[in-house]
Amino acid sequence: MRALRPMRALDRTTWTLTWRLTRAGGRTGLLATGLSVAAAAISTALLLVCVAANLGFQQRADRIDWRNPVRSGAPVAVEAVGTTFSGGTPVTVVDVAQLPGKKAPALPGMPRFPKPGETWVSPALADLLHRLPADRHPVPGTPAGTLGREALAHPGELVAVVGHKPTAAAVTAPRDPRRPDDTVTPTRVADFTGRPLQYGIGGFYVTLAKIATILVVIPLLVLGASSARLSVSRRDQRLAALRLIGATPGRIAGMTAAEAAFTGAAGALLGAVGYALLLPAVAQVPVAGGSWYVADLWVGLPVLLAVLAAVVAMVVVSALAGLRQVVVGPLGVARRSQAPRMHVLRALVFVAVIVGYAWFTDNKKDEVNAILVFFAVVFLALSVIGPWVVGILGRVVSARAATPATLLAGRRMLDDPKSAWRTVSGLALAGFVAGFFAPFGVVGSSSWGSPDTLAVAVPKSQVTAVQHEARERLKDARVTATVGSDTGRVAVVGGEDSVQVTVTVPGDTENLDRARTALTSLVPGQYPVTGTDVDWSGKMFTEDFSTATRVVLGVTFVIAIASAGITAASSVLDRRRTYGLLRLAGTPLRILDEARRKETLIPVAVLAGGAVLTGLFAAAPLTVLAGGSSSLDLGGIALLAACFGLGVAGLLAASALSRPLLKSVTASSGPRGE
Amino acid sequence: MTPYRTTTTSPVLAGIGLTKSYGLTRALAGVDVSVSAGESLAVMGPSGSGKSTLLHCLAGIERPDEGQVVLAGERVDQLGEPERSELRRTRFGFVFQSGQLLPELPADENVALPLMLGGLPRRQAVAKAREWFAPLGLAGKEDRRPGQLSGGQEQRVAIARALVGGPQVIFADEPTGALDQSTGMEVIGLLVEITRSQGAALVVVTHDANVAAYCDRTVRVRDGRLSEAGRTYARAAVGDATAHAAEAAGLAVWRAAGHPSGDADARYDR
Repeated sequence: MRALRPMRALDRTTWTLTWRLTRAGGRTGLLATGLSVAAAAISTALLLVCVAANLGFQQRADRIDWRNPVRSGAPVAVEAVGTTFSGGTPVTVVDVAQLPGKKAPALPGMPRFPKPGETWVSPALADLLHRLPADRHPVPGTPAGTLGREALAHPGELVAVVGHKPTAAAVTAPRDPRRPDDTVTPTRVADFTGRPLQYGIGGFYVTLAKIATILVVIPLLVLGASSARLSVSRRDQRLAALRLIGATPGRIAGMTAAEAAFTGAAGALLGAVGYALLLPAVAQVPVAGGSWYVADLWVGLPVLLAVLAAVVAMVVVSALAGLRQVVVGPLGVARRSQAPRMHVLRALVFVAVIVGYAWFTDNKKDEVNAILVFFAVVFLALSVIGPWVVGILGRVVSARAATPATLLAGRRMLDDPKSAWRTVSGLALAGFVAGFFAPFGVVGSSSWGSPDTLAVAVPKSQVTAVQHEARERLKDARVTATVGSDTGRVAVVGGEDSVQVTVTVPGDTENLDRARTALTSLVPGQYPVTGTDVDWSGKMFTEDFSTATRVVLGVTFVIAIASAGITAASSVLDRRRTYGLLRLAGTPLRILDEARRKETLIPVAVLAGGAVLTGLFAAAPLTVLAGGSSSLDLGGIALLAACFGLGVAGLLAASALSRPLLKSVTASSGPRGE
Repeated sequence: MTPYRTTTTSPVLAGIGLTKSYGLTRALAGVDVSVSAGESLAVMGPSGSGKSTLLHCLAGIERPDEGQVVLAGERVDQLGEPERSELRRTRFGFVFQSGQLLPELPADENVALPLMLGGLPRRQAVAKAREWFAPLGLAGKEDRRPGQLSGGQEQRVAIARALVGGPQVIFADEPTGALDQSTGMEVIGLLVEITRSQGAALVVVTHDANVAAYCDRTVRVRDGRLSEAGRTYARAAVGDATAHAAEAAGLAVWRAAGHPSGDADARYDR
């Protein structure tokens, strides 16, 4: 007798059969395949955008290292950095000078070291100078050249590099030490490599991007999983039929994996194309002061391929997990003899994770990346406790149910808590995100001074002289302003001796900028600033943060609602035979629909609440990490309420969308439920 | 011995001149059929002969293109879907081949469901449902879920569910199709007997002559027409030993109400 060759799970027959089944799936089949492809595409595109944002922030940060000079024992040049403003937008001015007898290398984005008196500007600043009259130019002189993108964080950045003699005040006078992120006192350097900013907001943006990625990726996993299950639900009968005629479990698994790989790969490729097409639009989104270089958001081929592979793998694994029931028995879905009890261990794991997180964030405040990993674990832990809570709810609801719909919902939750959890998990995770963001207040607005009062700091002894000079300059510039002095701390030089000379310019920002231009270099090393100017980076971060909050919340809720809709559809397909027979026996569609709705809404009400609380809890340490303060105010509560309302409405809408499917599967069902 | 009698009362359900086409395919071509209270009628015929369509039309699942369906003197074929749905729930009962029970509900709640749908409070509905368990040989199985029951037990739960609302007609579509021969005979014997005892009419669609032999009357459908109508089969005429044995088992279950030890399905208990 010839020895039987083991059936290979992914041989040609498998692929051929899979392809034929996919093509012959009919309208429902096409819909399910389409949804799976769409889910994979959306997941891929969003994942790529998340990765792109992370890499993009890093690239932006890397490119401005040169403006954070490192003091050298063998210097060739001096570098100082200051920030002035034009129309409220910061203009970074880098003053450099070659030391006598030394040969300084070219600065990033420039072909050579600038000569004394030469100004090189970024393209955006060149545009601005072209548009503005000379009396409002934030930097003096005519630009000698344009800075390349190697020197700039983003295309809209306003940067000037000004060459000086090594004895010039701009490269010798000390600068305000309280503004490490936008002001650097003259530093003797050997090159212009610089180092990453330790202070300032650069790091916050990178952290923020990581948090946003975690918050988006996990609901994406849920979306991918639910769409993969939809494919399996649709095909379980045919796969079971194949089992009946002798296909091995390996063959069935192979076919499922093959189909999932088909749809996953098609979706991933579409997603990649979508990402590529979206890139120019995404690059226009202004974050951290400006829009992006498209190249910064291009993740590169290796990362792109890795993301595609990850998405395909996720889809295949989810499909195989959903397949278990079919492979168990050739007669189709395995008969469950007992309601699977959710082990209390799930709750204990969750509590342990929460306690661990609290301890870790309290004791290891500096280990940002470890905290972020732990944060992701808290997020994932929701999926561990979720089914357990659904099981408990099912028990309570079944015991108390008075109407058929509630009874059906309760029993279904009790019977298959994991499946009920799948429908609502997206929204529970989105609840976590909402809870996470609700208390996120950012320390921002400055109360240091009036927005129409410019200040420069001078030693007490020079106040009168500087005031006189200021009046002269303002007069020449034809700017009406009130010159005074006070002991405010918008500008500081030296120590206790520092007093600020103030110039109050009533009217619009044009007048303010005219005064600014007139007063530039009034005090060496200082640009006149208002209280609002000093806090520009905090203000920008606050704005970006609220944009990021809205985007992440929007994305997670859309993903949640999409996965709920897909899960609702696959749940109808899973149970089409029973639904069909119940309908034939006269059960009103309304009752079946109400049961489906309750099966979703009851766990959502409880779990989303729990998830919000978990989010609130998890947010506290990270808020501080990302430069904010944590407290739940009215705005936060309103945000939560809005999210909850929209989420529930979306969930109901998603459930309503599968109603026609319910109607069609029950209507097309023969008395044998075929 | 004539354990089954043929009723002679006026029909509770009648289909008159029923015609139904699907596109160019004519499934029913003018069928007259009736069944009386307490009577059991087997509808036989090869696949595609139109017997399922006949059941659909009689049960108000589909509307005939022509002809009438009359239930207890009332025309029901012209009712809208909500009314027909209500009709199916309140005046008809259904037993299908399999898969009709909700897997997540315990047996008693599966049986109680139609009563709850009719507005009976849960406690009363479940209490009333439980009354059916002993007569059907299901005593002690009330809390079991369908997955914990054998095929035969599951069909008996389905019978209880079909009967619990006190319907006038029970429709059974291949009710033994998923069962082995012996269990199948036991189930059909029980179904016929208990339906008759409730004074309801029974319409069984089957392709199994042994199943049809349990019914008072058999009609055959071929190409959308009744090829042989009104013929009464005496059970003894079949003379099938298996059928007799199974019938005996079914009756034993029926008679030994409340004594599951006599249950032929006890071997499936888990």
